[in-house]
Amino acid sequence: MTFRPSARDGEIEAFVVDRYLESLLAREPRDTADIPVDLRQSADALAAGLPRYHPSFRFVEALSARLAAAAVRPAGAAPRDPMPAAIVELPRPGRPGDAPGGLGQVRPVVIGGVLTSAAISLAGAAYVAWRLNRPASDPMIRAVRAVARARLI
Amino acid sequence: MARPALRKSTRPEGAAATPRLAHLDLDRSLVDAARADPARFDALYRKYVAQVYNFAVYELGDHHEAEDATERTFLSALAALPRFEERARVEDGRDASTFRVWLFRIARNVVAERRRRWRRRPEAPLDLALATPDPLDVERAVVEREAATTAWRAVDRLTGDRRRAVILRFVHEMSTAEIAAVLERSEGAVRVLIHRGLRSVAKELRGRGEGRA
Repeated sequence: MTFRPSARDGEIEAFVVDRYLESLLAREPRDTADIPVDLRQSADALAAGLPRYHPSFRFVEALSARLAAAAVRPAGAAPRDPMPAAIVELPRPGRPGDAPGGLGQVRPVVIGGVLTSAAISLAGAAYVAWRLNRPASDPMIRAVRAVARARLI
Repeated sequence: MARPALRKSTRPEGAAATPRLAHLDLDRSLVDAARADPARFDALYRKYVAQVYNFAVYELGDHHEAEDATERTFLSALAALPRFEERARVEDGRDASTFRVWLFRIARNVVAERRRRWRRRPEAPLDLALATPDPLDVERAVVEREAATTAWRAVDRLTGDRRRAVILRFVHEMSTAEIAAVLERSEGAVRVLIHRGLRSVAKELRGRGEGRA
């Protein structure tokens, strides 16, 4: 059987010191006869000497506000929940000589309701074109159209 | 000091139905309130913000880093509060709080993460010790600051969990059981860590005393 007095003694001393620290930190130091003097002095020095730091009032209040904001936010949401900006590529006017699939041939992807509005827009453009090219019966209308054409040119 | 929360509980089926008293977590009411309404987390935050900050200052040796670690700790705690489990035991003592232990575990992880990315500056703790505000009693202030500097130096030379155990014991006045839970070690191991820490501090203080003489 192997007997290791140093390790066992160390554990016992650790236990005795622990009991002493318990009483020291409860401000009721007990009998210190069993405690080595250097350990007791070290414990007293640490208990009295180690400072306690308090965060600044400004920091405490700022973090309180952040926590309050986080508390009302739904779980899983990002701290600041910005709406991601949608990037829409506009169609570029095709130029004669552009290769198929080149820069001038970029087409926007049209999804859902946008198709409907685009169709209405086409019908509206066709109607306006028909109205403009229809021969006018009223002399006043003919005069107005003549002035408008003159301005455009 | 707040009185420990107690409740009546009955023994399991088959045993004599004699009511007995079981300890509850010291912070149970605050935790329950914060779970029901996260806006009431503020009470727990204000109770423990100084302790968490203090722990971070000792670990990181820098006020700004400590503020950042404190902020991360409480934001993480607020997010994880629904998953917190109360594990108060009678043997943990009257003032035991499993919430505090849980919070310090989060703080320990946050600090460890920061330390991995940022090397501690060895001169910082001394700067902090000297930065303690001067009270009106100048002579006493000098003695106190000298004691603080000496204690800082001695503790700062300790390594890893030995330093953490000493700080949790002397600055936060945690019980051995609480420190064991925070560091995820046995109580016996914590006693040995503190004992060895005190031995190192004693050696350091003796060396300083001989150096002066």
